[in-house]
Amino acid sequence: MADAFVLNRQNILERLGGDEEIYTMMLDMYLQDLDANCASLSAAIASGQAIEIRREAHTIKGLLATFSDDRGAAAAYVVEQQAKAGDMNGLAAAAATLETRMREVAMVLAAARCPG
Amino acid sequence: MNTVLIIDDSDINLTLIKALVLKLGECQPVLHEDPLKALEWCRENVPDLVIVDYMMPGMDGLRFISAFRALHGRNEIPVLMITASDQKDVRYEALLGGANDFLTKPVDRVEFSARVRNMLMLRQGQKFLADRARHLEDLVDERTSEIRDRERELIFRISRAAEFRDPETGAHIQRMAHYSQIIARGLDLEASKLKLILEAAPMHDVGKIGIPDYILLKPGKLTFEEFEVMKGHARLGHELLKDSRSEIMQAGAEVAISHHEKYDGSGYPHGLKGQAIPLFGRIVAVADVFDALTSERPYKKAWPLEDAVRFLEEGRGKHFDPLCVEAFLAGWDAVLDIRRRFQDEEVPMI
Repeated sequence: MADAFVLNRQNILERLGGDEEIYTMMLDMYLQDLDANCASLSAAIASGQAIEIRREAHTIKGLLATFSDDRGAAAAYVVEQQAKAGDMNGLAAAAATLETRMREVAMVLAAARCPG
Repeated sequence: MNTVLIIDDSDINLTLIKALVLKLGECQPVLHEDPLKALEWCRENVPDLVIVDYMMPGMDGLRFISAFRALHGRNEIPVLMITASDQKDVRYEALLGGANDFLTKPVDRVEFSARVRNMLMLRQGQKFLADRARHLEDLVDERTSEIRDRERELIFRISRAAEFRDPETGAHIQRMAHYSQIIARGLDLEASKLKLILEAAPMHDVGKIGIPDYILLKPGKLTFEEFEVMKGHARLGHELLKDSRSEIMQAGAEVAISHHEKYDGSGYPHGLKGQAIPLFGRIVAVADVFDALTSERPYKKAWPLEDAVRFLEEGRGKHFDPLCVEAFLAGWDAVLDIRRRFQDEEVPMI
């Protein structure tokens, strides 16, 4: 994934009706759940179960979309659709890339959370 | 307060949706990560709105909606399904499966608030209509009950009018009506029939209104001709009541014409036999005779209870329907209670 994640705070806040409280809560939850979400994706890949991979990719797609990460959500969508089609070819690599993206998003969010 | 059930396996979505629901005000969110547990909750609780994610482990949103709709009384509760914008096929399927509307991920507060408010208004409308229907039903029940009470009072008074012309007392009609009900209960008649016989039995002798005083009040034994006139009270009672649209009056007409029939066919006015005698007539025959025997009259002493019981037993299959006698004797404790409650000096309403 070539494009680095850029946090569009204004866009996210607009979607949340300008509610700073919910925005902050969302950031905290993303950071809090990051490891668990990455672990679930890895476990799904390790299981070789297309249905599990599809579900985890779907969840990650939703998470990244919540933070307006269109590129990351699109990559998750590709994994989801490939798993849905039962095509396991290259899924492990795609999943690894997805995890990297999630962590990258987390770093940006963490920095935004504590700007100091 | 609206109860909003939110089902999503993602913590972050649950938290986000809960926060948005709370922002709406007057809403109590109930959160479930597991759709199966949410369904269990729905068996005992009725939400005002369900917000459910599509893709979840164990049971997806489509299957959840279908199982939820199958629960009794959950058919009209609004359901919002959360889907991604790329899932058009899922949306179609959800619509057919019972979802009322959709929320697109990522959730947008403006869209979310508008859709949830619309669904809650729909729910409020449903509740309002249901409450109004229930209120109207209660009102109709109340009015019907008032009319029925007036009808019962009228019947009681008409029945007493007939009894006043007779040495028998008002307490007699109360006792025999309750005895009739004891027999009906012993025969396992349905609740509505138990109520009906209690209300209709007092009219058994209403035709005595049309019997001349010189016969009705004659202290001595009636001649053959006089007795023939006296027997006419059964037909007179029937004539008086038969054309009424009231179920109670119709039952009263049946009781009036059939309570002097005898099981072996030797009764009057038609000489009907066995099951050809209407059931209410067979029941009232036992109740009326027992009370007449065990009550004191100006011209006779009250029979001892054991003698009256023997009379009923000996009359089984001849005068009386054996099953009615059996049902009466099986309810003996209740019979004694009725005798204590309705004594000749005092005549409380049924």
